[in-house]
Amino acid sequence: MAKTILVVDDSASIRQVVGIALKGAGYDVIQACDGKDALGKMSGQKINLIISDVNMPNMDGISFLKEVKQHPKYKFTPVIMLTTEAGQGKMAEGRAAGAKAWVVKPFQPPQMLDAVAKLVLP
Amino acid sequence: MLDDTKKIFIQESEELLEQMENALLEMEQVPDDAEHLNSVFRAIHTIKGAAGIFGFDAIVAFTHPVESVMDNVRNGIRLVDPDLVALLLKCKDHTANLVESISDGQEDISEALLEAGQTLLDELNPEQKSGALDVVKNKRENIEVSDRKNASDDNWVISLDFKSDALRNGLDPLSFINYLKRMGEIVEIITFTHDFPCWEDMEPESCYLSFRIALLSSASKEEIKSVFEFAMDDCELRIIPPRSELEKYLALLEELTGEELNKLGELLIQVGALTEQELSNALQVQSSVLSDDAATQEVKPLGEILVEQHVVSKGVVDKAVEKQESIREKIAQETQYIRVDADRLGQLINLVGELVISNAAVKLLVEKHDLADVQEVVNGVEGLVENIRDHALQLRMVQIGDTFSRFRRVVRDVSKDLNKDVELVITGGEAELDKTVVEKINDPLTHLVRNSLDHGFETPEERVAQGKPKKGVLRLNALHDSGHIVIQIADDGAGLDTKKIRKKAEEKGLIYAGQELSHREILRLIFEPGLTTKDTASNISGRGVGMDVVKRNIDALRGSIEVDSERGKGTLVTIHLPLTLAIIEGFMVGVEKERFVIPLSMVEECVEMDTNEWHLDKNSHYVNLRGQVMPYIKLSEFFGVNYQHGRRGRESLVVVRVGRAKAGIVVDRLFGELQTVIKPLGKVFQGLKGVSGATVLGSGDIALILDVQGLIGLASAKASDVKTLESV
Amino acid sequence: MSIVTRELNGVHFFEINDELTIYTAAMMKQELQDLLSKQDELEISLEKVSDIDSAGVQILILLHQQAEKKGKALRFIKHNRQVIDVLETLNLEAFFGDPIVLPAKEFEYA
Repeated sequence: MAKTILVVDDSASIRQVVGIALKGAGYDVIQACDGKDALGKMSGQKINLIISDVNMPNMDGISFLKEVKQHPKYKFTPVIMLTTEAGQGKMAEGRAAGAKAWVVKPFQPPQMLDAVAKLVLP
Repeated sequence: MLDDTKKIFIQESEELLEQMENALLEMEQVPDDAEHLNSVFRAIHTIKGAAGIFGFDAIVAFTHPVESVMDNVRNGIRLVDPDLVALLLKCKDHTANLVESISDGQEDISEALLEAGQTLLDELNPEQKSGALDVVKNKRENIEVSDRKNASDDNWVISLDFKSDALRNGLDPLSFINYLKRMGEIVEIITFTHDFPCWEDMEPESCYLSFRIALLSSASKEEIKSVFEFAMDDCELRIIPPRSELEKYLALLEELTGEELNKLGELLIQVGALTEQELSNALQVQSSVLSDDAATQEVKPLGEILVEQHVVSKGVVDKAVEKQESIREKIAQETQYIRVDADRLGQLINLVGELVISNAAVKLLVEKHDLADVQEVVNGVEGLVENIRDHALQLRMVQIGDTFSRFRRVVRDVSKDLNKDVELVITGGEAELDKTVVEKINDPLTHLVRNSLDHGFETPEERVAQGKPKKGVLRLNALHDSGHIVIQIADDGAGLDTKKIRKKAEEKGLIYAGQELSHREILRLIFEPGLTTKDTASNISGRGVGMDVVKRNIDALRGSIEVDSERGKGTLVTIHLPLTLAIIEGFMVGVEKERFVIPLSMVEECVEMDTNEWHLDKNSHYVNLRGQVMPYIKLSEFFGVNYQHGRRGRESLVVVRVGRAKAGIVVDRLFGELQTVIKPLGKVFQGLKGVSGATVLGSGDIALILDVQGLIGLASAKASDVKTLESV
Repeated sequence: MSIVTRELNGVHFFEINDELTIYTAAMMKQELQDLLSKQDELEISLEKVSDIDSAGVQILILLHQQAEKKGKALRFIKHNRQVIDVLETLNLEAFFGDPIVLPAKEFEYA
């Protein structure tokens, strides 16, 4: 059964690139444009991995991460946070909220697939 | 085997063997208790697997058949009886002995121990003992096992202990291990189950998993570590490099040329034995110990912490410490130096020179007045003075190695710029010469090295096309040769194009068309002003200003430069230099009452007066010595010496040579060798031709030191003027 | 209930009909414990395990050890492809000692 990955980013182009790469690698992909949108789309369905941007409107990545870690169904779901070189300051905050994996933007699709493969079985 | 590998294995094996013994003792009471049966099986199975991972073949060979027996027992094929339990206890003891012999540091298991093991195995499988064929088969099986394990000698060993929160944090050990397969082949993996909690105590979301993995991979330590990058906070990771990797670290450490004192961790990172993360972890441990109990606890050396944490093997740490020590020593040596103003050192040497002369004067007087009792004292003083002079001169001696080493960077950068692949090989760096010479040799050397890189070496493609190794070799060599230092710059590049040099020289009017020149003579043309053979000037070695300037610099040091080259094979430039500019081994000659000193190294031979061996041709200014013709110069004429008692009829000839140029110097008297201190001429005389300095003789007289090179030049000019006139 | 009772040719066995992961680990532990306390001999089919991760493997290991301790006969049967892959990756086939039978269909393709 294919694993399901939730991609949360306000940039449509990033969602698209990541989405294409992940689908190409055999994952199912759900896309959301911010934390709030993501929580709505998760709606109790099985998610194996979340990839989330940090800076987003409505609900930013850190707040979203905190929500996820509270959620009984998703508290054990691994999360990859997307960050920029400039946004390293957010990492401490992210770590405190339970983020373990980080991918620095800009990234090439293979980098993202590597990070995903370290966290979920194919 | 490596210390840290051993420790992990031994510790784990001991725990497992204890479990095995307890289970076996229980089995004596309740023979077919499944739990104990399985416990014994698992213990021996895990030991076998771990021994395989760590490359302990003898243990694999012994535990493998034991495991098979336990498997049969477990599956009900073989029945448990007290005899078997007793035998298995012996097997357990034997395994413990094997483990112990490893911890004793024995590379090979002793013959006796192996035999004891075989006896036990024979008892364990009595039916196999009878048939010789089976024994062979059994052995072969063992051999196969050990063959496979031998290959695994070169595996990375990864020890991976997850912390209890790993799963809760969204990390799945399985995924990492699955990903690890991308780095290479997982030769063996053991999932530790023996220290799991009991069912009741188990928290389903806590992680209890530990793994030992043997990985066959060409990846670097950093790359393997990166597999677990997301799990760094949630696992204890130890990566033990394979033997070949260790050898690589050791070789790299050996090669490191440390200019500054690096910290141990930095050295280890430099060679790849340690990752940044591992270093910062270890430093944290170090500083936490410090803050815990700063008063009583001594700071643990970083190396010890690294070995304890099984991050780097002891051998590598030792090597790094050794290297660090040698760098430290080098620096300590350097710091022991006292910086002295070169002028003050010059003054000292000058004074010592005066002392030598004064001593000679005293000696003369003592001899003159025939003071036998003073003679002895004077001789003693003379010895001391000579000692002082040698030591004073030694103060200015430095090894040429440091000057050579600077070219590593030049070669690296320039060859990179030019897309050439050139390796610099330095030999003889320990040869010593005067600091003032070293300082002055740097520029000419730089020029020669750049020249060689620019014009000498071909591109890697061209080299390969010519059947040469892709990488060119540039050699810098120094050696002592009878009071001189010889510096050689050799390349295995394209060599000089004599046709081109000839053509250029003709264009420049340095030679006339069709002039007969030997190979060496053509080569020597490159030292003529304005001659460059490279069609395009580059910013590396410049345009035309080059070899002539180099030659002038070397000449100024009373040295000589020669070039030898073979088209397609390479070029060798040889520079001869005096060890010091302050003292000179001279040959004293006289004209009337004047004394002159010729640097001894340039004297080829002296021919006594009144022999028939030589003839002066006053018209052409050539001297014919036993059929050998060379230009000459008559010192009496050159310096305009007035003869007070009328001209003496008898003269001597001193043949001097610089490089391959020879000339004769005609003098009145030959006095012989002497060692003397050069005193620079005053400013007024610096433009003087034919004289490079002066020295004070023991008698208090002044002797001029001849500039042989200049004299040869003047002599040849005179001779060739005549020749040119004649040929017109 | 994630574990259901099945019968094949008159032989009863249990079937895990859910994923065996961190998300279900707590529940699985409870259900398996109940099962183990009631049965002296049981076969558990892993055919319908929809997903398995490290937490799931841990449960299987500990259940196996617990059964031995209590002297109960526990056998895992009908391992599906994913379960086999995981056991192979971790080199745990020998630990469980259960014969692993590849489903016939897969075997043909293998």
